[in-house]
Amino acid sequence: MSADNTFHYALSSNNAWAGYKAHQNPQFFPKLAGGQSPEILWIGCSDSRCPETTILGMQPGDVFVHRNIANIISPTDINTTAVIEYAVANLKVKHVVLCGHSACGGAAAALSDVRVGGVLDTWLLPLKTVRFNHAEELEAITDEKERIMRIAQLNVEAGIKVLMNNATIREAIAERGLEVHGVFFDISCGRIKELGCGTAHAGKGDHVVRGKHGQLVFGQDGEAAIAAAQ
Amino acid sequence: MIVVRHYPVLPRTTSTPLPRLRLTILPSATPRRFCSSHTADDKDRSKKDITMYLQETHDKVFENNKSWAAEQVAKDPDFFKKLAAGQNPEYLWIGCSDSRIPAEQITGLQPGDAFVHRNIANLVCNTDLNVMSVIEYAVKHLQVKHIVVCGHYGCGGVKAAMTPKDLGLMNPWLRNIRDVYRLHEKELDAIADEEARYERLVELNVYEQCRNVVKTAALQQSYAENGFPIIHGWVFNFRDGMLKDLNVDFKTILKDIQKIYNLTN
Repeated sequence: MSADNTFHYALSSNNAWAGYKAHQNPQFFPKLAGGQSPEILWIGCSDSRCPETTILGMQPGDVFVHRNIANIISPTDINTTAVIEYAVANLKVKHVVLCGHSACGGAAAALSDVRVGGVLDTWLLPLKTVRFNHAEELEAITDEKERIMRIAQLNVEAGIKVLMNNATIREAIAERGLEVHGVFFDISCGRIKELGCGTAHAGKGDHVVRGKHGQLVFGQDGEAAIAAAQ
Repeated sequence: MIVVRHYPVLPRTTSTPLPRLRLTILPSATPRRFCSSHTADDKDRSKKDITMYLQETHDKVFENNKSWAAEQVAKDPDFFKKLAAGQNPEYLWIGCSDSRIPAEQITGLQPGDAFVHRNIANLVCNTDLNVMSVIEYAVKHLQVKHIVVCGHYGCGGVKAAMTPKDLGLMNPWLRNIRDVYRLHEKELDAIADEEARYERLVELNVYEQCRNVVKTAALQQSYAENGFPIIHGWVFNFRDGMLKDLNVDFKTILKDIQKIYNLTN
């Protein structure tokens, strides 16, 4: 697809989408214009392969979104902080989901000793810190893809720690049972799995939840479930 | 020729809707309030209800995701293999965090098509390393061809910035929108109707954020060297689901700002 085509595609495609949605449900847009009450705050990577609402199978109005390079949670970053503040304190979302993903360019950069240049090295610093904090474990992984995958998961765990210490989030957990989840999107199979960190897993081991349509295995077994599905 | 891919893009993949209504049967929206006015038994039951409700909304996401992944594989068995090989997006999308504007769905773009940054009120601030990293990575490393700044009418962030109120932690972020107002004070003050003024501020905010993208070194250098990316300002309208192209005059902006903000060496 040439550059020009993609551009016109998106605009014409929007036209078709709006027509389709309005036809399917005439109340769709009037309802949307009435306001938002999303239940999920999604913090994920800017990577084009991780479109949150699409991969979650959800609809406009369901997910409040912040996406940055390598889904890094930097405690003093006012951009992320403003998003959290608005979503948790004002919209009162019920879940905060931090999602990492496989084949992350930021993770690969953090594992490399080459300077990326510009402002990127500074932004990636928390990820570099994760690398040095887990140097032994990461160096023991011989497969490069696996190593990139592992540091991205450790990055989510580190991000969850920062989120759990955020004052607004702490209050919401105590006062109204806000849940915080660390998850991982495997691009090679399109599945999301729980990483076993966050509120539901504080101090607990693996556990199984039976939903209406199947069972969900949290923690380590999630990996096995993904492997079995492939 | 433009071929629009088949619709529905992504219908809800499971037949059961989100159990949103369950909340209405709870005695109160927040546990804090009914904790104080109910018996211990009630409190216990309510807590259980909430826990169950949270678990269900949470499970739903994973179920949807599972069906979505299966659907993609059914359509194209190599879908995820290709996706895992790497990304080569044509777009950088800078949009609002608002839940009603999932970039990919409203444009019909597929996974892999658009690199996305979303923050409160789609702002591009010079000192924000978060958005600056996104722009730098998208332009220099991914070499995107288009950068879209997409705002929307009815933006809560823009509205908040028009409100004379101390918003605590949000102040430093929303200050940037107040600055947009100041830059266009005359035009905005001349609009008598408040709703119309608010809508115009949304448009002017997109316009100013486009200017801020043009002021970056990454953009200026890449454009001088490659002739891309180019900048677009769009506004999404909830009332009909349509995107409005503000037809931002990229070349004129570039020429204007380079008198002072030239970073092309």
